[in-house]
Amino acid sequence: MPEKEVIIIGGGAAGLAAAVACQQKGVEDILLIERGAYLGGILNQCIHDGFGLEKFHTSLSGPEYAQRYVDHIKEKEIPFLLNSMVVNLTPQKEVIVVNNNGLTHYRARVIILAMGCRERTRGAISIPGARPSGIYTAGVAQELINLKNYMVGQKIVVLGSGDVGLIMVRRLILEGAEVIMVAEKLPYSSGLPRNINQCLNDFDIPLLLSHTVVDIEGNGRLSGVTIAQLGPRGGIIPGTRRKIACDTLLLSVGLIPENELSREAGIVLDNITGGPQVDERGQTSIPGIFACGNVLQVHDIVDNVSLEAEYILEGVAEYLEGKLSQEQEIKVEIGEGLRYVVPQTLISQKDTIFSFRVNQPGEKKILIFEDGKKVIKKKSLRRVNPAEMVRVKLSSSELEEIKTLKVKLV
Amino acid sequence: MEREFICIICPNGCRIKVEYEGTNIKNIQGDECPKGKDYVKNEITNPLRVFTGSVLVENGDFSLVSVKTSVPIPKKYLKKIGEITRWIKVDAPVEISQVVASNLLGEKVDLMATRKIKKINSLLS
Amino acid sequence: MKATKNHYDAVIIGGGMVGCAIARELSRYKISVAVLEKEDDVSWGTSCRNSGVVHAGFNNRPGTLMAKFCVEGNKSFAELCLQLDVPYKKMGKLVVAKKKEEIKDLQKLKQQGDANGVDNLQIIDYSEVKRLEPNIEGIAALYSPETAITSPYLLTIALAENALNNGVSFFLNTRVESITRLNNSHFKIITNRGEFTSSYVINSAGLYADKIARMAGTEKYHLYPCRGEYHILDKNVSRLISRPIYPVTSPSSQWLGVHLTPTIDGNILIGPSNEYIKSKDNLSVTSSVMKMLSAEAGEFLPLISPGYTIRSYSGIRAKQSPSSEGGFWDFVIEESDMIDNFINLIGIESPGLTAAQPIAKRVVEIINKKERLNSNPQFNPFRKGILRFDEQGEETKIALIRQDPNYGEIVCRCEKVTKKEILEAINNPLGARSLISIKYRTRAMMGRCQGGYCQTRIMEILRESFKLGPKELTLKGNDSYLLTGYRSSEVSK
Repeated sequence: MPEKEVIIIGGGAAGLAAAVACQQKGVEDILLIERGAYLGGILNQCIHDGFGLEKFHTSLSGPEYAQRYVDHIKEKEIPFLLNSMVVNLTPQKEVIVVNNNGLTHYRARVIILAMGCRERTRGAISIPGARPSGIYTAGVAQELINLKNYMVGQKIVVLGSGDVGLIMVRRLILEGAEVIMVAEKLPYSSGLPRNINQCLNDFDIPLLLSHTVVDIEGNGRLSGVTIAQLGPRGGIIPGTRRKIACDTLLLSVGLIPENELSREAGIVLDNITGGPQVDERGQTSIPGIFACGNVLQVHDIVDNVSLEAEYILEGVAEYLEGKLSQEQEIKVEIGEGLRYVVPQTLISQKDTIFSFRVNQPGEKKILIFEDGKKVIKKKSLRRVNPAEMVRVKLSSSELEEIKTLKVKLV
Repeated sequence: MEREFICIICPNGCRIKVEYEGTNIKNIQGDECPKGKDYVKNEITNPLRVFTGSVLVENGDFSLVSVKTSVPIPKKYLKKIGEITRWIKVDAPVEISQVVASNLLGEKVDLMATRKIKKINSLLS
Repeated sequence: MKATKNHYDAVIIGGGMVGCAIARELSRYKISVAVLEKEDDVSWGTSCRNSGVVHAGFNNRPGTLMAKFCVEGNKSFAELCLQLDVPYKKMGKLVVAKKKEEIKDLQKLKQQGDANGVDNLQIIDYSEVKRLEPNIEGIAALYSPETAITSPYLLTIALAENALNNGVSFFLNTRVESITRLNNSHFKIITNRGEFTSSYVINSAGLYADKIARMAGTEKYHLYPCRGEYHILDKNVSRLISRPIYPVTSPSSQWLGVHLTPTIDGNILIGPSNEYIKSKDNLSVTSSVMKMLSAEAGEFLPLISPGYTIRSYSGIRAKQSPSSEGGFWDFVIEESDMIDNFINLIGIESPGLTAAQPIAKRVVEIINKKERLNSNPQFNPFRKGILRFDEQGEETKIALIRQDPNYGEIVCRCEKVTKKEILEAINNPLGARSLISIKYRTRAMMGRCQGGYCQTRIMEILRESFKLGPKELTLKGNDSYLLTGYRSSEVSK
């Protein structure tokens, strides 16, 4: 069985950045495995700009951002496979890959999980009603329009104010469709404020917060949806049901890290993030298996995905050199105000970047890191929002000699 | 008149409050960098946006190439540019930043490709 | 469209499980047969929307056709599935009592089963229940080892394909508009796609069998739609049960209660509910029922939560009386008293799946009594389905890819369906061409991402295979177009 030093599963933003970072760290025996026909993953269909502001100090579209990494990969001749699906991952770090050439086993010293995420579906949120055509998750609609040159429909209702949906509102309008409204079941938007501005406000598209779709009509093609307002506990407020005639329903109701392979390998997952539990090196519960990007936690900015991938390469390099030692195991506890934190454990006291999402929108908040009663660090946050990941670095001196770690937002 | 803008220049999304009358700005609060100030000034006098879309490609490994305007354009022209892009066809190969259409709407605005497209020899494209 | 005159000895109206089973049985004889189906594919009525359970026969009243055909069907089901290359698993079933009072109902069910000729029924105690199903809450159960599961849509498709192979003609997207009897010898059937004439008409139109009966002027039947909703759970929780788990219902009840059933593909189904509705077409799922299903399932299987649902669907039963009347109604499988050679199949609800082949044989008997049917020596009972790559051993997988690289391209990531299987489904002998037809034949789009990755790929493969324009692609035939709308430029032009 061929053995590699590093196998990267997934050739999207995270996998590309990991591959480049690997090569820059001097790892040569890399194999990047991508199931699609081209590298770049979801970036290929993200034709809007705003990517790369932090990494490259310029505003790029998705394909341009991906191309920077692809150019590097081709230039340095980093090996990759396309149209190749990893169908199995074992705890012994073996993968089985299926492609037109056959079925191949590989073994690696390090596996980097970079499989990205999938969209939450209608079935998973149990919208009642009929089963007509014309119901798409926003990402699928994006692929159809941006990559296949197909128009999905003409009169659109969007459920969910996630970024993918917001971007698609603008795209559909510029392609000549009519977007009637965006309904969001929470009392606040799940997308970035800049997207609310550029995609909804710019075109006067109403955003109905605390609203959801409660019924769907249509025998063949969708003919309409019923929306209703939700009360504070999520119940439908009587008398607020309203039918909207439309031919397309776009769902932008959340992304779920795609961890089937991780699960099959027995990697411990975090119920809230949906991704593997990791230490500050990005290592999962199986030594030598690391995770980065959307498969670890759903990101909102691709620059952070690349930074995360580069960051975990420190750990990967240490592991390959046999220097990744577990000096301690401190579980990072979450206190009030926060939904989750990555990493979930600390095994050393090196510089660590923590990523969080808050529970609710808020202003003038303070993030507090504590070891028992001792406050290790405080950080003021002017404005927080569940849609925007917060990243905070703690230095090794700040983490020195801690016995426990709890983080909360007040 | 007072209005709060969410700046779109960078992911910070600063909330900037502006007091103005017509196109005359009286007061700006909440900006954290000069770009933010410029942004709200523009939003009041002449809002600009970068248009992103796609145009058709002949003989390429993709049938569409994603494009963007070389500079931000007045917001009111976005839909019109959207319509125009659908008429544009370009031949593969296409390089990133290649100009696929120039002088849109009579202004000095170009449409640039944002994806690399290879040429393929296919009868079916 | 030109009117076409087609004459067949027998026309079967309705391409559901029973209609296709009848078609196959008739194809054993030298008799020309056509099946007229109004949808884009077979099985899309109630046949594809049930629990897929092959019942043993203890829920049916002794002396009825339901009981007789269920037991017969159950005993020959394994062989039927083997011949047709359709999945079948005899996993047994538990009817679980949660309260002491329910134990006597278990005993009544067992007695009923024994009277019907069901083999090997046993009442088991708490420890045995726990041994068989550690995650289930119950104090005792009726254990039926003869109960099995299958794929109801794959079976219907297989019956149809085998019938087709043996000479039956299938007309999809063909809706019957009128039926008249000519000169007391032939029927003239007018459809939206032309005219047919036949000597026999077999009305297996399921929910609409009453309408077809009325169209021809036979007895006045009335069918009342009763909807059952289901949840499909993520495969990650499939290990929680090993076999169908049913609640205790009274032996005379025709509703078997909300149950938990493993599907042949490895998901758990929760359902069905039992709700009389107004419209026969209303396949919606409702939030109140969805909540009820989760609650009822939770009583047996506390480890279940609504978060595991990946999809919900519903099916409609053809009831012979309204909810206010209730009562027991056996299968009606008989030649009309009013019109010769017109055979009605009315009220084929559970155990219709299990009983499909015996029901079909009964129809053949009815015809055989009227005129001697001659055997078709060319009849071949065997049919091969689409090979599932993911179920093969590794050596076989390698050989398959070598033989055809399309086996190496995985299109549906969640269910690991290859391009080769998609191509075979697209080129199905019945000529069904919608996305759902491919879904049923391959499992693609049935996984947890519900087509998020593969839908666009399947659409491309469909387009390429039949040179279809994007606006011709449908989800489920008729006007369920996938890609509508126009771009600004198209409008301006």
